[in-house]
Amino acid sequence: MTTDTTDSDGTRGPEAVGVDDASDVPDRIAAQFENIKQTRRRRALGWAGLAVFLVFTTLQAFAATELLNPDARLETFTESLTGFFPITDYFGVLPFLDLGQYIGFIRQENLLYDPEIGGLLFQFPPNPTDIYAFFFQELGIFQIFGEAGITLAMGFVGTILGFPFALVFGTLGSERVTPFPFNFIFRGTMSFIRAIPAIIWTLIFIPFLGLGPASAALAIAFDTIGNLGRLFVDELEEIEDGPIEAMRTTGASKPQIVFFGMLSQVRTGFIAWTLYIFEINVRAAVTVGVIGAGGLGYVLTSQQNLLRFTEMMATLLAIFLLIISVELFSQRLRSRLRSDDVEMSIWELITGFPRRMMESAMK
Amino acid sequence: MTYIEVDGLTKRFGDTVALDDVSFEVPAGEFVIVLGVSGSGKSTLLRTLSGLLSPTEGEIRIDGDPMIEPRPDVAMIFQQHNIIGDMTAYSNSLSGGVHRAGFLSSVLQLQDTEEKHRALDALDMVGLLDEAEQKARSMSGGQQQRVGIARALVQRPEVLLADEPVASLDPGSAQSVMGYLRRASEDRDLTTFCSLHQVNIARKFGHRFIGLRDGEKVFDGYRDDLTIDIIDDLYGDIDTEGMFVRDEGDGEGATDEVATT
Repeated sequence: MTTDTTDSDGTRGPEAVGVDDASDVPDRIAAQFENIKQTRRRRALGWAGLAVFLVFTTLQAFAATELLNPDARLETFTESLTGFFPITDYFGVLPFLDLGQYIGFIRQENLLYDPEIGGLLFQFPPNPTDIYAFFFQELGIFQIFGEAGITLAMGFVGTILGFPFALVFGTLGSERVTPFPFNFIFRGTMSFIRAIPAIIWTLIFIPFLGLGPASAALAIAFDTIGNLGRLFVDELEEIEDGPIEAMRTTGASKPQIVFFGMLSQVRTGFIAWTLYIFEINVRAAVTVGVIGAGGLGYVLTSQQNLLRFTEMMATLLAIFLLIISVELFSQRLRSRLRSDDVEMSIWELITGFPRRMMESAMK
Repeated sequence: MTYIEVDGLTKRFGDTVALDDVSFEVPAGEFVIVLGVSGSGKSTLLRTLSGLLSPTEGEIRIDGDPMIEPRPDVAMIFQQHNIIGDMTAYSNSLSGGVHRAGFLSSVLQLQDTEEKHRALDALDMVGLLDEAEQKARSMSGGQQQRVGIARALVQRPEVLLADEPVASLDPGSAQSVMGYLRRASEDRDLTTFCSLHQVNIARKFGHRFIGLRDGEKVFDGYRDDLTIDIIDDLYGDIDTEGMFVRDEGDGEGATDEVATT
């Protein structure tokens, strides 16, 4: 340690003389230098201790999850992988992924498009009776997307049904609206709802509505109250006091103060969070489907049970397409909401799409 | 006729004394400017007058009734304007009158036409009728403050309180906002209370001046009584000479203006 100091003194010597006349380092500086060194040493020790602790705990967790001594079957896994990714020879010579098998299954099971319902809409020449039937008799806006449509509808219904309750619970759960101990009635309810995942809420609702999309949609709605309500509470913590005080001085009633002074400050935030929860709900709709509630999740698990891995992969592709589309849609909408720019008209949104794609591709 | 009575008003925050035994009376229709450096108790005085804060000791009576909580007949304009950025200028203006409407009709803007005309009239008074449908957030600082004035007017108050309404504005906007405030107050015969720290603006627009220092009232008088010594006293060590000399000219102009009106 002492050699260290002298070394650095030695190298800095000439410069120090050049800067100020004192030939020796002043005591105050030496003391502070020693101080900093001590702090750094303590901090290094702390980090080392933390690292040791993490390694130790991780080992224990590995043991608990049976990863220390796994029952690995590499052969079965590679076999299933070849099932996931079937290979075919294109033009008789070029071996490549057999996309045809995926597409075949997606069409056969109507994963992304239901031709029976879509046929009503897409025919030439257009048939007004069929178009009427599509919208008002078959109610086909979601069903046209086949199994993906059912999954999407579960997420959508869950969000729509959950939103008003989330709004009420979130607002009343805020300390600024309901005084301290009482707001925990609402926060507690939301915590309880959140503690139980959507998939388990579905199990709870099966005796009520049977195993199917209805239970799933209700379960997702419940989940939304917990999650979205919590985000609303957090958003309400961020607001400024100014507009609340201003509304108080106008002599507004308490509900008016809450609406004009508080909620109007977080309107865009609330819409953006709701879109975000919609994204999450569509994903949740896939998972609740796995226990039999219908949609893409149900197709996935039934193919898995039959060990038909190619069909399973095809379903995964459909899920991927659905989730990506929902996320793209919701993120575009959210970024438009957040930005203060002049809003684009829908027409410009569509016609300007190729140009904007080009622009972002060039970046 | 005395309209506002402040009687032995004291406000303490813990050990800090923000207002110390302040008393004065203001007749209806007067334009009062409260002067003092930052921390002298100007804001506390206005916030107590508005009912946002309750006095530790003493009493405030407006129109004979003690001021305990915010009332519709006392409107307030804030330094940070505190209008709602996500709503249009018109919606903000309209929100001043929600105490006359039920919850649902105010939320859905179902007030009667008279009320809506009143909101537009107030915007017209502050020169923003054409900008009525603009989002408040996209407006300039001065415009936002004028929307704040419009909202206060729609409230149909008898007393207008303004807490440093021009402190965060550039000199040009500050003059114009003060002009609108003064005109609104004269038009509608409002008793107005405005805190300021710019002496030149204060002299140009005020009738009566109340000076605060460390929470105590150290000056209470009309324009002619407001001499350089008083200002020096209020602002202590700060070099006020420049401020005063410059506003002599302004002051004369303002005196003429007052004389003609």
